[in-house]
Amino acid sequence: MKGIRAWSVAVSVLLLVTVALAGCRQAPRAGAPDVFVIANNIDPMWSWDPADSFGEEIPVLFEMYETLLRYHPLQDKLEPVLAEDWDVTPDGLTWTFRLRSGVKFHCGHAFDATQVKKSIDRTRERGMGAAFIWDAVERIDAPEPQTVVFHLSYPIPVDLTVASAYGAFMYCPKCLEEKGDDHYNNGNACGTGPYKLESWRRGDQVLLTRFDDYWRGWEDNHFDKILVKVVPETGTARQMLEAGEVDHVRLLPFEDIQVLKKNPRFNVAVSPSFQNVYILINSIREPLNDARVRQALSYSIPYADIIKYVMHDYATQSVGPVPAGMWGHDPGLKQYTYDLTRARELLAAAGYPNGGFSLVMTVASGDENHRKVAEMWKGELAKLGIALDIRTMPFDAQWDLAKSPDVKQRQDLYILYYWPDVTSPQAFLEGCFVTQDDYIIFNLSYYSNPLVDDLVYGAWQAAGTDRVRATELYRQAQAILLEDAPAIFVYDMQNVRVLNASVKGFKDNPAYPYVLFVYDLYREGKR
Amino acid sequence: MALPANRPRPAVLEQIRYSGYLITKNSLTTVGFGIVLVLLVIALLAPVFVPHPEHAVLGTTNVAEALRPPSGRYLFGTDELGRDLFSRVIYGTRISLQIGTLAVGLALLIGVPLGLVAGYLGGFVDEVIMRVTDIFLSFPPLLLAIAVAALLGRSLTNAMIAIAIAWWPWYTRLMRGTVISLREKPFVEAARMMGTPATRIMVRHVLVNSLSPVIVQASLDFGSVILTSAALSFLGLGAQPPQPEWGLILSTARNYFLVAPWYSFFPGMAMVITVLAFNLVGDGLREITDPKTRRL
Repeated sequence: MKGIRAWSVAVSVLLLVTVALAGCRQAPRAGAPDVFVIANNIDPMWSWDPADSFGEEIPVLFEMYETLLRYHPLQDKLEPVLAEDWDVTPDGLTWTFRLRSGVKFHCGHAFDATQVKKSIDRTRERGMGAAFIWDAVERIDAPEPQTVVFHLSYPIPVDLTVASAYGAFMYCPKCLEEKGDDHYNNGNACGTGPYKLESWRRGDQVLLTRFDDYWRGWEDNHFDKILVKVVPETGTARQMLEAGEVDHVRLLPFEDIQVLKKNPRFNVAVSPSFQNVYILINSIREPLNDARVRQALSYSIPYADIIKYVMHDYATQSVGPVPAGMWGHDPGLKQYTYDLTRARELLAAAGYPNGGFSLVMTVASGDENHRKVAEMWKGELAKLGIALDIRTMPFDAQWDLAKSPDVKQRQDLYILYYWPDVTSPQAFLEGCFVTQDDYIIFNLSYYSNPLVDDLVYGAWQAAGTDRVRATELYRQAQAILLEDAPAIFVYDMQNVRVLNASVKGFKDNPAYPYVLFVYDLYREGKR
Repeated sequence: MALPANRPRPAVLEQIRYSGYLITKNSLTTVGFGIVLVLLVIALLAPVFVPHPEHAVLGTTNVAEALRPPSGRYLFGTDELGRDLFSRVIYGTRISLQIGTLAVGLALLIGVPLGLVAGYLGGFVDEVIMRVTDIFLSFPPLLLAIAVAALLGRSLTNAMIAIAIAWWPWYTRLMRGTVISLREKPFVEAARMMGTPATRIMVRHVLVNSLSPVIVQASLDFGSVILTSAALSFLGLGAQPPQPEWGLILSTARNYFLVAPWYSFFPGMAMVITVLAFNLVGDGLREITDPKTRRL
């Protein structure tokens, strides 16, 4: 008996201690860091160097780095960030920006005009990622510590360019001078943004912590840290969200979102986006070099079914390459419909009345939406006698194949998400459809039409000073692209962001896809 | 079945009857053989009884009925594109058995002759062949298969080739061991004394008598090969959509695990049952062919 008693006492004490400890864990002590946790399906850090960035890393980079201005496309308004105000000469060739004073980099160096000049000059020299946005810049001057002057060789809207989601970050050039030019790409960061890098484990997590000297200052309700965890399985990510372990999941299947939407613990924010989906058609290969065949393909996509059943109505069918809501988009342009009869006529006219050829389509593995589109399309193409060979592969493999020096190796069809660097039609049209012989950016149709080139570059030159003329030139370029059909414009997406309901202050900005600007967020209540 | 050499050789019918007796003696083996038989029938007759062959063969989509739970209409429910999962899983049996047969067959085709030659000839040839197998065996088979599949390009055929490349050295080793022990047996020596050509001895006397451990191993490997090919497809290196390969179905289904649990369950179960059945068959065959464990 005695033995049993002693045991039960020991067990009770142990239980009590456990309960007490658990209690301690639940009530956070005052001042415990409030961490904003993001579940990301892949390691977002494709590139650490803000000069090279052209991928999925911007949600992390934008917490650490800032641009001179920030664009709010839905209001068509520019917000001063590192620049306070700016003006342009009437010829559109000289832009002067006045910089905010008292701004510091994470390393302690001061931010001034020289750093702006050095960052942009370095980005241009490296020529990686979105460096081409600066092509019109002839020279940058820093006449005073707080004044930067851009001299252009032809007019472009520099105000939009400096607000670009890619290629326009202000980073500390002194750090690179001191620690070597590949300092950033070795997994380091030094910007002026509200959060600085604390640690990074490749393929596992990125941890950012607040930068105490941030120029906007810190009030009480900002998050102290941002943790980006790599959670490849969407099922796991959803369970973590439901268990209150994460605040935001970057990508969830719409089937899960439909369930989460009904739960008041989560906030499903739906807003316009500038992200759209193209299927780029290899326009230099038989039989796809015939525009009629490409048009037939455009008529064979079951647009309505895709939007309803793949996108669960979180998308609309595209009208042309420029997404709805952006300037330069023209709802009056030609829109292809699902029309197999028309497709058959076009194929017959091109000499393929019963199809009789097969096409290779690459799809990034893990992308459910694209795979579903591909599989649905396969069924439609089969009705036209065209065999679709779907090949899923990791994005890098898909990308390398598309740029393979051996043209014969390349795919016939490439399904691509596209979103802008500089928020303008230029990003879409220059990125995907102007002639790119020596250096392919995203023109995976390998399309080349001097008429389109002239219109697109002409529009960009007009954009800084004459928006109406630019819009008209963009419209003409898009009309040609729709007729020539080097790509199928499938759908314009909406941004669907799932957040824990305790997170407040979130406003989606379609110019910066997936960027949350965590500094503006705060928490009310418990996760 | 391989019978001891001293037993009088029964007629074919007698042999089958005897094999049947050996198989049914152990109830687990019976179950294994039974399931394999059922799987073979299912695979052969799939087009006859499956309600939506087009969902499996062509991958025709039917999006309006996506992710329906199991019901009288869709026995196993539907997938995210509204395709009948029952039809797809049943057709998957065909693919899996094909993979098993072709991959193991190819591995045997490479492995067995090499093992035979190495074991019988010995010396330098043996050295070279065995060092090559050592190199192959120093990689974990799945890893080697992944590397080869990645190199060859993504398709089911390439996945099978990759698996065969990862698997053949095991058969070479096994074969060589058996052949070495047979090489010095009196009946082989007798054949050699009579001046029978070496190739004839190898095929007629040595090969035939050393096949049984290889057959046992091959039937055990059948299951592993199906699993490996599923793993390759899961990683995107094997079957390509819309092929109804179990591993590929599973890799898609995991995205809908919380919304549609049946979607992962049925292909998963199919795989478990198949692999289990082949393992039982393999174990049974081992017991039958090994005189130490055979109780008559």
